[in-house]
Amino acid sequence: MAYYLLTLAVYVVVGVIACWGLNLQFGDTGVLNFAYILFVAAGAYTASILSLGHPNSSSYQHYFWGAHMPWPIPWLAAAVVGGLLGLLVGLLVLRRLRGDYQAMVLLVVSIMGSYIVSADPGFLNGGVGLALIPQPFKGVLHLSQVGYEVFYLALALLAAAVVFEVVRRIHISPLGRVLRAVRENEAAAAAVGHNVAAVKLLVMVIGGAIAALAGAIEVQFIAAWAPAGWDYTETFGLFAAVIVGGRGNLGGVALGALLVQGLFLEGTVLLPNIGNPALIGAIQWMSLGALILIFLYFRPQGVLPERRRTYSSDITTRRNRMAALPAALTRRSARG
Amino acid sequence: MNSMLSSLGFGIVTASILLPAAVGFTLQFSATGVLNIAFGAQMTFAAYIAFICTQAGMSIWLALVLGAVFGAVFSALLNRFLLARFAKRGTTFFGMVVVTIALALLIEYLVEIIWGTMSVNYQMTGTGVVHLGAMSFTHSQLVVMAIGLGIAVATHSLLKYTRIGKAIRAVASNTDLARSSGVPAQRITDIAWLISGLMGGAAGVMLGISLSSVSYTMGDTFLIEIIAAAVLGGVGQVYGAMLGALAIGVLLEESAIVLGGAYAPISAFAVLILVLLVRPTGIMAGAAEAKGIA
Repeated sequence: MAYYLLTLAVYVVVGVIACWGLNLQFGDTGVLNFAYILFVAAGAYTASILSLGHPNSSSYQHYFWGAHMPWPIPWLAAAVVGGLLGLLVGLLVLRRLRGDYQAMVLLVVSIMGSYIVSADPGFLNGGVGLALIPQPFKGVLHLSQVGYEVFYLALALLAAAVVFEVVRRIHISPLGRVLRAVRENEAAAAAVGHNVAAVKLLVMVIGGAIAALAGAIEVQFIAAWAPAGWDYTETFGLFAAVIVGGRGNLGGVALGALLVQGLFLEGTVLLPNIGNPALIGAIQWMSLGALILIFLYFRPQGVLPERRRTYSSDITTRRNRMAALPAALTRRSARG
Repeated sequence: MNSMLSSLGFGIVTASILLPAAVGFTLQFSATGVLNIAFGAQMTFAAYIAFICTQAGMSIWLALVLGAVFGAVFSALLNRFLLARFAKRGTTFFGMVVVTIALALLIEYLVEIIWGTMSVNYQMTGTGVVHLGAMSFTHSQLVVMAIGLGIAVATHSLLKYTRIGKAIRAVASNTDLARSSGVPAQRITDIAWLISGLMGGAAGVMLGISLSSVSYTMGDTFLIEIIAAAVLGGVGQVYGAMLGALAIGVLLEESAIVLGGAYAPISAFAVLILVLLVRPTGIMAGAAEAKGIA
């Protein structure tokens, strides 16, 4: 039981990190990145080949290149690859396309990614996927199974703390204000001199790096990774978490990830086994759909909504002046 | 060369199925501004309804009609009782996309719960083959092609020559202006969803006939090709969707011959992205921009 709960805790931490990255794009900036899971996958594959070692032709799994790197390198390299992929996809998709086209093309890009990996068995072992991915310090530490889980959870929490600090600083900085301006009104943000395309590209890179880091943490924990695990519908599960928790609120997003990713998608394993596993999976996905609908209808702002920001007093006085304006006008017209 | 020609035949069959689907998908967008991700799931549902009909002893073509009618009613109800209500509550464009995603999950897994994960087959009789040069078609493929062509012609005449079609175009280009000119916008929207659901339902059953099997993920997989066709043609552009369907259908089958089956979808989508880099709002750009949806 302790083992199971620890496993669940690692999953939740991974989900929280991934949702913070998605929130930076979707919650703060309004970019609808339907290819988000592709960045998670990119990070997972990067961390895998950087810890598996050189590909062995006699082995049952094939991948184009590999190395055996010590711990922080696979995670850091994953974040770099995720950021680069964000740059590439962003340059391709975000520059010229209108918002709705961007969303659709990103969905297509996500599916293309999984087709490409599945089509070529020599690239990343095709549809079968990679397995037996080494876990950091597993051989050095000589811990019990539960002990190692605690250690890994600590590593994951360390990464989560770093990611939290990054997204929090962006959120409260002037940049965060620009992101929200782009979300609320692109044309207005462009009119006051912000380069909307560059802003979106930036969140694609940072969000992509965070997604990839989440993927790296996940893959070194479960030690296997295949296209079936990063189907494009997985992106929608992450979106659900951000919506339910409260887009634009970091605590809310974490809560959403805990609820949706943790209790909802993994926690049902705790339930007694009714019927066949396929039925339970179907019910899970259906309840996820219902949950999104209910939240978008009754509480579109999420459990913990984004805080309303109030800025320095000169804005309030200006607002008061604006409110006084109609009265002044009627006075004048009455006089005239 | 011969194989290129024969795969052109397959491409035309795929395009004939893609055409009603892409036109239906794009019609929903132009009438209500909703990008309906649940469209593929609705197709699957209709295909299974047709399967029940064939199980009950009906001919496949009668089942196709009933499947299409189911698709039409289901789609209109979805719009009236779900999507329109969200729109009334002020759900944004992206919010609506997420709503349809949730809807897609609900429908797809409901279908899985009812009919299971194993695929089913339509019972069909009479599968003669007709040769046209290097191309060969089964009888059912010929009928599928005829239906695709028929739907293209019917859509064109509906939009061009009938009052309803005129009203749909009016609502699509400017809903407020249409309403203030006396067009009953809500009823027209309902009709547009009815028609697009009819096309989606028909396309779902046609896909089942062409693949000779129906599975719960069928429509979802096909959705990507529908989106590619619709986006290529310019989202909201009915004639663009027809062209896009033809282009994507032929491209998919031709690249399967040239590059091998596994790479076919990749090349088709790569072409889509390349075309969009040159023409960012699709090959039939125009009216959608005027609407200012993004």
